[in-house]
Amino acid sequence: MDAIHTYSFLFHFCLVAALAFPLLSFVLSFYISEKYSWITSVLASFLLLLGTLASAVVLYQAWNHPPFAYRLEWFSLAGYSFSAGVYINNISALMLFIVTGVSFLVHLYSVGYMAGDAGIQRYFAMLGFFTFAMQGIVVSGNLLMTFVFWELVGFSSYMLIGHWHEIPAAAEASKRAFIINRVGDAGFLVGLMIVWAHGHSFDIAALQHMPVDPTWMTLASLGIFCGIVGKSAQFPLFTWLPDAMVGPTPVSALIHAATMVAAGVFLLARVHFLFTVPALHIVAVVGCITALLGAVSALAQHDIKKILAYSTLSQLGLMVVALGAGSPQAALLHLFTHAFFKACLFLAAGAVIHSLHQAQHQSHVHFDVQDIRNLGGLEKKLPFTFLIFVISGSALAGLPLTSGFLSKDAILTALVQWHGEGFSWKLLILAAVALVSFLTVVYTFRMIWKIFKGSETATAQLHISEPPAVMRAPMAVLAGVSLWIWFSWNPFNFYGWMYTNIGEAKPFHSGMVSIASAIWVILALGVAYVTRQVTVGSPLLLNAFYFDRLLKQFVEKPILQLAALTHHADKKWIDGFLHATAYAQLIVAHLTGWFDRAIVDGLVDGVAGAAKGLGSFTRSFQGGKIQLYIFWATFAIIIFIIWTLL
Amino acid sequence: MNVPVHHFLYLGAFLFSVGLVVVISKRNTILVLLGLELMLNASNLNLVAFNRLHPGNLQGQMFAIFVIVVAVCEAAVGLAIVLRIYREYQTSVPDDVNELNL
Amino acid sequence: MNAPSFLFYFFEIIAAGAAGALLFVRNVFYGALLVIAVLLALAGLYILAFAEFVAVTQILVYAGGILVVIIFGIMLTTRLGGKPLVIEHTRSISATLVGLAFFGMLMYLLSRETFVAHPAKAATPTTLDTTQTLGALLMSDYVLPFETAGILLLMALIGAAVIASERKSKNV
Repeated sequence: MDAIHTYSFLFHFCLVAALAFPLLSFVLSFYISEKYSWITSVLASFLLLLGTLASAVVLYQAWNHPPFAYRLEWFSLAGYSFSAGVYINNISALMLFIVTGVSFLVHLYSVGYMAGDAGIQRYFAMLGFFTFAMQGIVVSGNLLMTFVFWELVGFSSYMLIGHWHEIPAAAEASKRAFIINRVGDAGFLVGLMIVWAHGHSFDIAALQHMPVDPTWMTLASLGIFCGIVGKSAQFPLFTWLPDAMVGPTPVSALIHAATMVAAGVFLLARVHFLFTVPALHIVAVVGCITALLGAVSALAQHDIKKILAYSTLSQLGLMVVALGAGSPQAALLHLFTHAFFKACLFLAAGAVIHSLHQAQHQSHVHFDVQDIRNLGGLEKKLPFTFLIFVISGSALAGLPLTSGFLSKDAILTALVQWHGEGFSWKLLILAAVALVSFLTVVYTFRMIWKIFKGSETATAQLHISEPPAVMRAPMAVLAGVSLWIWFSWNPFNFYGWMYTNIGEAKPFHSGMVSIASAIWVILALGVAYVTRQVTVGSPLLLNAFYFDRLLKQFVEKPILQLAALTHHADKKWIDGFLHATAYAQLIVAHLTGWFDRAIVDGLVDGVAGAAKGLGSFTRSFQGGKIQLYIFWATFAIIIFIIWTLL
Repeated sequence: MNVPVHHFLYLGAFLFSVGLVVVISKRNTILVLLGLELMLNASNLNLVAFNRLHPGNLQGQMFAIFVIVVAVCEAAVGLAIVLRIYREYQTSVPDDVNELNL
Repeated sequence: MNAPSFLFYFFEIIAAGAAGALLFVRNVFYGALLVIAVLLALAGLYILAFAEFVAVTQILVYAGGILVVIIFGIMLTTRLGGKPLVIEHTRSISATLVGLAFFGMLMYLLSRETFVAHPAKAATPTTLDTTQTLGALLMSDYVLPFETAGILLLMALIGAAVIASERKSKNV
């Protein structure tokens, strides 16, 4: 029964090690001389490999065992003690492994991709720090601790997006990401306060037995959801994610596709029990809007990374929909599969960009290598990358035999189950999700077709070669993991070892859904092939429905006006009051100063002056002044005569 | 002449007091010496005045003569000192000569 | 009021006035002249007090000797070539107070006393006047003080000459 004692020393050691190695990498990166900065990359990758092994041990030990919980009193305030704790069950152990593993692969990839970069030490340091913070979120058994790591993750994301801070767009985007996340985090904090006010605990395990007041719980869960909206780039706080693509591509792969943005989904799954039914409905609607928005916008993008960013948005939306539909398992399954194939896609896109940059460097031809309109016919020149792209793209599109098919199937099944019988608004969400999966196929196909098929345009003269092995290996691993086999033996049944063990399994599976899904995807593929030459040139879609500008018009402007107003009030009234009190204090100070000088100092000076006068008076008798001597002699004689004769 | 002796004595007292004030307050050595002469003369006046009360006895006058002699000596030596000081210190202000006062 | 009384008060007023003026004088030379006036007035008073010899000595030695020496001293120590030397006062208030106190006290004491004149004890009528008697006394009863006074004068003469000589003091 006592969960703690069933875990061996090895487990504890590996758990600490899994977190310590990335942190060590962060620290060591500062101690390596600039001259040998390449050591940093190798060392960091090695440390992450060790961390991955440690987390693998943790996963093996924790899998299908009672949850491991460790709690430590952190600090106490006003009679309440705040604890810090670790809580590891199947989900967090798996997530820990995936985070560390993907992070290791990205580190390895970065060795090739970032070679020769001036800020390589800072890059690897922040990458290690990010990994540590992300692991912190995953293993934390305490919402307050989660919040702390949550902020650290946001900070490292800020640092990494702005890695090339000399580029104004990068600096701008990093600021943007940070600030938009702050908005969400404010909501998160409010949610935490409500939770504390009702449960007097932040411990996730303890909160499950919290007395539930529906209204407050709805508000609390919506507050927490605000934080998730910010971190997972949901509607309406999604605009930072496409902008964040100015960061290095491996960072996009790790942070803005596989792990950090998934942290929101992970947290949502973890505190799913807090969410009331109305809150879940809102979650579902928000997720649906995000998914649709992302998918439609992705159709019109020209930048590889932007396409992938909007696709990430849309996939995250799908996960949130699944959570809203009350199926955390489906969401988590999609989160895990998505972590692999989206990271793989980003790395492959990075490989294309890297290769083209190298080629450009040799031939001095310059064009935007991220714009797919400039690319084409790269299939022959980059066969390996093409293969990777096809595999991971299929997973994204949800073609059968890939992991994506399984997880998308799980989500669709969950939605079908959630929607139940009859007609309701939930059917609309189901339809929207179906549309999203259709659109996903279309934009993925278009992207791959544009890059690798078609006619060579700007790239015709370039000597393009495959990226180095150190970059190819992580891509190969991730592409391999994008296949169905790792998640379920049966490629048409998502009830694999993972799905059944990451939450209480709902005995619902419809072969119909799988088949319909497969047919739907094939159909979409056909449509995509037919319309491959049609370009969607709508500026509306290109700019994601001008959501940015809308936000600016309807949120930023009024807020700025309000700020100006309050600033004015502050200047006029509060400052006036403050000045008045300051003047009053000044007057009092002058009065006391005068008192001090005149009375207190005067007393002291008076005593000193008296002593001085006495001194100089007695001194004057010895002044060497003959006439004075005579004067005093006469004076004495007068006194003597008065004394004696009168 | 039947002037009371008191009138001599009053003048003597006045001269002595004036000499005293001059000695104390003048910032010039020669004037200080003059003040001293004034005081000596005041005492001489007293001696002569008292001698008048004793006809046939000339002790008072004799004393006055010796006082004059001593005053001569004092004036001669004093003036010599004044000249010397003036030559050494370029001053005739008694307060400025305070070499012993450190 | 007979003539001797008139002369007496005349000389007293001159002496007192000159002495009082000496208090306010700012010029050393005027100061010396005022002192001469005082000394001459005192000589007159001595004559009125039947001390002719003292009066003559006063005129000869003081007014004619000491004051001439002092005026020489003034000339040597104050640069008369330019503007007259202005003498300042120090401690004038305290000096005045002390002087007034001393004067008042003396006046009080003197006015309290009564000095009785001894009636003519000298019943032995002599033909000698005061000057002759003094000369005889100096050579008889007061010969020792007389000689001592001579030695004193000699010492003062030599001392003054030595002190005022041009020789530079080795110690200064």
